[in-house]
Amino acid sequence: MTLDLLFLATLVGATLRAATPILFAALGGLVSELAGSINIALEGMMLIAAFFGVIASAFSPHWFPDAPMWMHPWIGCAAGLVAAVALAGLLAFFHLELGADLILAGIGINILAQGLTVFLLVAITGDKGSTAGLASFAMPRLHLPLVDAVPVLGPLVNGDGLGGQNILVYGAFAAVGLIRFLLYRTVFGLHLRAVGESSDAALSAGISVRRMRYAGLLLSGVLAGFGGIFLAMGYLTLFQTDMVAGRGFLALAAVFLGARRPLGIMAAALLFGASQVFAAQLGLYVPSQIVFMVPPIVTIAALVLFNLHRRRAERRRVEAGIATIFAPSRIIE
Amino acid sequence: MKALGREVGRVALVLAAALAVGFVITALVSHDPLKAYRALLTGALPELVQGPDGGWVFRRVTRIGAVLEEAITLTFVGLAVAIPFRARQFSIGADGQVFLGGLAAAAVSLAIGGPSFFVIPAACLAAMAAGFVWGLVPGILKARFEANEIVTTLMLNIVAVQLYRLIIMDLLNDPAAGFLTTPALPLPSVLSVLVPSTNVTIMVLWAPVAAIVAWLLVQRTTLGFEIRLLGENALFAARAGVPILRTTVLSIALGGVFAGLAGFHIANGLLKRLPVDLNPGIGFSGIVVTLIARNNPLAVPFAALAYAYLRVGAQVMERTTDVSREMVLILQALIILFVASDRFGPGMLGFWRARAVRRRAA
Repeated sequence: MTLDLLFLATLVGATLRAATPILFAALGGLVSELAGSINIALEGMMLIAAFFGVIASAFSPHWFPDAPMWMHPWIGCAAGLVAAVALAGLLAFFHLELGADLILAGIGINILAQGLTVFLLVAITGDKGSTAGLASFAMPRLHLPLVDAVPVLGPLVNGDGLGGQNILVYGAFAAVGLIRFLLYRTVFGLHLRAVGESSDAALSAGISVRRMRYAGLLLSGVLAGFGGIFLAMGYLTLFQTDMVAGRGFLALAAVFLGARRPLGIMAAALLFGASQVFAAQLGLYVPSQIVFMVPPIVTIAALVLFNLHRRRAERRRVEAGIATIFAPSRIIE
Repeated sequence: MKALGREVGRVALVLAAALAVGFVITALVSHDPLKAYRALLTGALPELVQGPDGGWVFRRVTRIGAVLEEAITLTFVGLAVAIPFRARQFSIGADGQVFLGGLAAAAVSLAIGGPSFFVIPAACLAAMAAGFVWGLVPGILKARFEANEIVTTLMLNIVAVQLYRLIIMDLLNDPAAGFLTTPALPLPSVLSVLVPSTNVTIMVLWAPVAAIVAWLLVQRTTLGFEIRLLGENALFAARAGVPILRTTVLSIALGGVFAGLAGFHIANGLLKRLPVDLNPGIGFSGIVVTLIARNNPLAVPFAALAYAYLRVGAQVMERTTDVSREMVLILQALIILFVASDRFGPGMLGFWRARAVRRRAA
């Protein structure tokens, strides 16, 4: 019994870790989505942040030999964030200034990140696969000594070896509250959502649509950057080619699945995290290829179920006379 | 004609700009960026060298073959992306469709023997059907359940790749091969080579034909008209009575047919057996090809040829210099960004001017 609970606690901890990068990126996707610009490039922003985070943290001791040890991961983190924001800025520039289609430009940015990381990886390390030859740092873990002695809570809060969860795991869930506050309790959030809801109305109310969209995309770069940094400086402690492995796209799916609300998105990210952990457990019994199919199939099934549910709710509202007209089918937008 | 000239000029400008930015990046990492760029830009060409007996001979004619082989694949994949794009369906599922098309072609080739005139069309049809079905899925998910096609096609790509690996490792594996692969396809099912010492097969003729068929489909059929109408103004199309759901589904699924053909070309023409690891990302190359072609099926083979030329050049660059071939991914990204920008090029002057005016006003 205790053993089962312990096992369960370990699984929950693993789920939280697996959900963290997706949650960060999905919150980023939410912010730009609410400003009216869908961000396909979350994947690329995570990748570039992971790469520059690892490289900067590995070289930090050479650049700043006098800096204390604890500073190196933070320098890496800062470099990763700057890189992700720069990439987001590039996307925003092409979309908002040069009139590029946001989806195509997003695809371009993803390919750019993919190419640039491998290209620079080869140039810096001579290796095409990973930075295994570099000594890079992990972000610190937050250890709560109070709960160590508690049987189930200990491994749940502090992870398997009771070493503490990575600070970014806490950060991701704290970000849910922060983003929620930012979006629904501040003028900035109001303006951001207004621009996404109706750019014409926002414009006539004196809100700069362009500025809010820039803000949305850049902020999504910051959040996706944290997701990438966690992958390479927490989940693992190195950069691997294509290490984001579709999590940016899962994050995009989580935005829609979570009904474009912070708490819904957190639930969706946890679902994806759980399906990853479940898949890893399943891997003991069935071929790994089937295991890898689980998260994408869960995503599609969840999207379909969610849309069915939404449509039924809409119909019920119409029948009840609360809403009078059907929204035009979402295909026609 | 004038419009054509303008389009060609714009594409040339985009390619030049992408190459220029690429050169700056190369110069940052390479000891000899000029040599690297020469390899990139001329590496795909055969060399005219003086033989030991004093006569001039062409060396490395196979590189032209490599360009053509790649251009065939890219033509089919480009068409696979162009048709849904015409309907403004951002299907990026060509990757999965290519994998499953190739798998279907190989499976049929291995399962049914018989003479060439029977097994080759059968394999080809199987590939097209596989691509069609794998395009049908996101199409129906979009039309029936309003599931965003970008998300579903990305997810289906992952599923397709894993399905491909699973079937090759567990069902079609050849234990004698020494690596994970299907057995060699039986000879009658392999396309015969047109140019000696290359893998350029009859598909080099079928690729332009496919482009013409795609053009006829889009420009000269009712379905094509509906696809274009849906792409240009969905609300108007709906009011005008275009069957939106059917057009959405078919535009994505018909793209899949062409992706399936790319898979057939890879399986029965290029590799002649399917290894467990195919190079993913081919679908994204299709996007760059169709963007260079401005979504015009007739221009797709030319765009494919140009892009194949660059890709082969990049491989030569990686072999002969210190610059890795991922340079071509960076170029691909830059081309997509530049082509997608309406105001790129001459229009950009307007942007800087407006900015200067804003600055002065502020």
